[in-house]
Amino acid sequence: MDTLNNVQSIRYFIPELILVAFAAGVIIYDLIGRQEGGRRAAHLSLAGLAAALIAVLLVGAADRSLFLGMVQLDSFAVFFKVIILITTAVTILFSMGSEELDPRTKGEYYALLLAVTLGMFLMASSTHLLMIYLSIETVSLASYILAGFLTHSPRSSEAAFKYIIYGAVASGTMLFGISLIFGLTGTGDVVQVSNVLAELFSSGGGDYQLAVLVSIIFVLAGVGYKIASVPFHMWSPDVYEGAPIPITAFLSVASKSAGFALFIRLFYSGFGSANVIESVDWSLLLAVVAALTMTVGNLAALPQQNVKRLLAYSSIAHGGYVLMGGVLLTAEGVHAILFYLIIYLFMNLGAFFVVILIAERIGSETIDGYRGLVTRAPLVAISMGIFLFSLTGIPPLSGFIGKWLLFKAVLTEEFYWLAIVGLLNSVVSLYYYVRIVKAMFLDSSDEPNPVSFSIGSRALLVVFVVPTIILGLYWTPVYQLSKASLGKILG
Amino acid sequence: MFLSLMIFIPLLGMVVVLLLPRDQEELARRVTLGFTLIPLLLAVVLFMQYDRSASDLQFDFDTVWIKAFDIHYHIGINGISVTLLLLTALLGPICVLASWRNIEKGVKAYLALFLLLETGMIGFFCAQDLFLFYVFFEVTLLPMYFLIGIWGGPRREYAAIKFFLYTLFGGVLMLIAIIAVYIKGGTFDIPTLIDLASREGHPLADRTFQIWAFLGFFIGFAVKVPIFPFHTWLPDAHVEAPTAISVILAGILLKMGTYGLVLINFAMLPKGMELFCNGEGRWGNAFAVLGFVNIVYGSLCALAQKDFKKLVAYSSIAHMGFVILGLAARNESGMNGAILQMFNHGVISAMLFLLVGVVYDRAHHREIGGFGGLGSRMPIYTGITTVAFMASLGLPGLSGFVGEALSLLGAYDKFPKLTILSTIGIVIGAAYFLWTLQRVFLGQLNPKYADMPEINRREIVTLVPLGILTIVLGIWPSFAMDMFNEAVKGLIAPLG
Amino acid sequence: MNDLTPYLVISTTLFCLGIFAVLTRRNAISILMGIELILNACNLNFAAFSRFVTPPDDISGQIISIFGIVLAAAEAAVFLAIILAIYREFSTISPDETDTLKG
Repeated sequence: MDTLNNVQSIRYFIPELILVAFAAGVIIYDLIGRQEGGRRAAHLSLAGLAAALIAVLLVGAADRSLFLGMVQLDSFAVFFKVIILITTAVTILFSMGSEELDPRTKGEYYALLLAVTLGMFLMASSTHLLMIYLSIETVSLASYILAGFLTHSPRSSEAAFKYIIYGAVASGTMLFGISLIFGLTGTGDVVQVSNVLAELFSSGGGDYQLAVLVSIIFVLAGVGYKIASVPFHMWSPDVYEGAPIPITAFLSVASKSAGFALFIRLFYSGFGSANVIESVDWSLLLAVVAALTMTVGNLAALPQQNVKRLLAYSSIAHGGYVLMGGVLLTAEGVHAILFYLIIYLFMNLGAFFVVILIAERIGSETIDGYRGLVTRAPLVAISMGIFLFSLTGIPPLSGFIGKWLLFKAVLTEEFYWLAIVGLLNSVVSLYYYVRIVKAMFLDSSDEPNPVSFSIGSRALLVVFVVPTIILGLYWTPVYQLSKASLGKILG
Repeated sequence: MFLSLMIFIPLLGMVVVLLLPRDQEELARRVTLGFTLIPLLLAVVLFMQYDRSASDLQFDFDTVWIKAFDIHYHIGINGISVTLLLLTALLGPICVLASWRNIEKGVKAYLALFLLLETGMIGFFCAQDLFLFYVFFEVTLLPMYFLIGIWGGPRREYAAIKFFLYTLFGGVLMLIAIIAVYIKGGTFDIPTLIDLASREGHPLADRTFQIWAFLGFFIGFAVKVPIFPFHTWLPDAHVEAPTAISVILAGILLKMGTYGLVLINFAMLPKGMELFCNGEGRWGNAFAVLGFVNIVYGSLCALAQKDFKKLVAYSSIAHMGFVILGLAARNESGMNGAILQMFNHGVISAMLFLLVGVVYDRAHHREIGGFGGLGSRMPIYTGITTVAFMASLGLPGLSGFVGEALSLLGAYDKFPKLTILSTIGIVIGAAYFLWTLQRVFLGQLNPKYADMPEINRREIVTLVPLGILTIVLGIWPSFAMDMFNEAVKGLIAPLG
Repeated sequence: MNDLTPYLVISTTLFCLGIFAVLTRRNAISILMGIELILNACNLNFAAFSRFVTPPDDISGQIISIFGIVLAAAEAAVFLAIILAIYREFSTISPDETDTLKG
């Protein structure tokens, strides 16, 4: 693999540069023409994302190491960049119609979103401990502000407050872990870390066992915080509930995906060598974490009345399912993760979109607000039903296929207990998803008037529904795509 | 292609019904009836065309669906599935007729969901690919949830979610077993897997593996059958479901469980079956005991019921017990009896639920004690009910008798004591049916129902075909048994 | 001090003090100070490792320290801004008293 110096790297770094340029452009534009309520700023940001997407695809997976080994440009990174770009674009579309956001500050809002996107790009491609930390912090700092963007709303401020307290501690802990790894190996490059660790443990390495275990757990604090895994998940329900809904959707999909990208790259390339696993079996530790994450997420979701909060817990649980694929140390497991993230993107964003629509048109975030929705807005109700059943994993919807690949990967490694815990969790999750379905289809509303939605909203909804169904019936292309995106991540 | 037509015509019907204008309810009903009559027609043709002297798959159709996993769209039928297909196709139009007048809100949605349900059921009985099999198995859940949850009785929401959760719970355990079988066998193709599992030395033939896989599948199907102690969803679901849906539930959905037991547990996992059915060791009687418990427990519960529909629901549990007992015997007469009993129970329980629906539509309650003397007021209704009751309690000459007798006969070879004890169930069955007959139809006419209208023509149309089948199968059981006898022999042959 | 150990002892102490502060303090400013302690523990670690572990001409550890300092400042800025917003809404900056989100 080629390692390029700073000058040579620039031409492979164009997508990121485009994002920087557009983020700056949006801010400047916002200073000049902020009268029109941020609409043009949104268009400008979307144009930036489109340009970045084209650039990502044109630059492609060059399989090169950029900036003297700080950043890796491979198909794995490209995969996540595309997912992140799509999610950001969707978030901007959500935000354009959103009435919770102050039109006067929307320009800054979009600029921040672009900055987060840049950070996530780096999360997906960093191969140096410093870059990993920097990218996480870039994403986090901008996310704190976005979560608290509703300056007039106590809930939003509180969300940002909790987010930053948990986040700062988690990332500080991670940095401490990184410093220990750096001290143990004398290098920051992830691949070299792996080599040195493998050497340390080649002759048993009993002296280092504890030190490495402690550092890995510290690093896990930062990663676990990003993917909201137990015990670092506490922030997520509060933040998801308080933040503007488009940001909640964004965090639950993009932030989580980027977190998984970072997790896989760091743990598989850095700590995944056989020697290390033999003495410090973090994969078993993570298997327990995955099982706890889904169980805690699902059980906590059961009594929720606020749909946003319910979906927050549900997304914790889904983080647990995805993490199952991450503990296996097999290509199949990573493949299942990538596949699941695509499916999850559609169904989860779709569900959050419905929450946005209902919050705006009916003015309710609680399950009661969904009562009798099928008679008031059949398309929205049926779409939501499809998203929720897909999240549960009922065939023939795509969520089932996603879960199926994950469980197949788990069972191939004969992790029977994990598969059983995971599947029983899907049964539990049915119960709370069905509560929303029940409100929508089985209960009747006090207010029978139909609710109408704009053509654009309905079209966007259909854009999420169609893949959610189609990918459940025929998923070969996506399967191949995610397989090709594995790249050389597993060495 | 023939089978694919049968599977997807109801689905097409669903689309058509959804596209109809909102206020055209009558048209929607007719269209649905049409779209359920086509599969019936096809099923009858299938029944005629089916080669009764062969035991292997017929009308086989196989094409790749998802190449990466070797998932095929493989459908085909043997003698067992063809009888159940006929039953499914027959109950389709009957149920549409049965819900002609008593479903008032959301007619289009009801019919659309019903058609989706029919696709799921027909597909399930045709699937020869484990993945497809599972998908169809689960596809029936969603429409069923909504059909009970929206159009059901007062406690419909509770009943619907209970049904859903129980079945999904069974389903996920089955899913683990399916994935495990796939990992060991490398294919989803059911005939291939059956073949591999019989080869000594193949990982699929490993005894420990078979036992665990057996348990996974077994729980999945046991919830559906339902086998004690997984049965508690059934009375709730039946009581709350609208008449037509109860008919489908008892007539077809329960058979999905036993059909699965025959197709997967019996044929693919013989070593697991062996452990639980060989009559030796700690677990050797397990399967038969479950059958026995179902029979006696179901009958006793039925005896205690005051609600007409609940009585029928518990009697279903009892009758499914005979199927389990027959399967446990693992010999020709036991198997034949079990499968015949599946078919018969589908017909008889469908009749019983339709009959309950008839009085419920008129009286708006189902208290057995709240009627009395209806026999003088509704002679035709009483006549049909008597036939159904007699068939259900196993009167010789009617279909119920043959299946149960064969099952017991088969089981007697292997488990003589349990079989004799199980006959208590028949006695109790006679008791509660006759007692019900007496309370509802005989004696003084309850003045409240002095002007109860007689069963109408539409209702008669739904009942008569089933009644005829009951009588025909009672006198001439080989009409159905010839269909699956060869398949049964094929299943038993490896057991020696 | 030509030995790594004292540095590690100090940094670990700082880290623990930081965590302790975060867990026990009921005032957002004190929590921020705790976080700063954690970050400084990391910076000290990097500088120390750079001096004692990596080859003399490799100063990557020290560079990471500098990045760490910059990020700590950025984080403090955002933190203080959010504290201001919280104070405006709740008239308190104790995380215990800002608890409208529950469940």
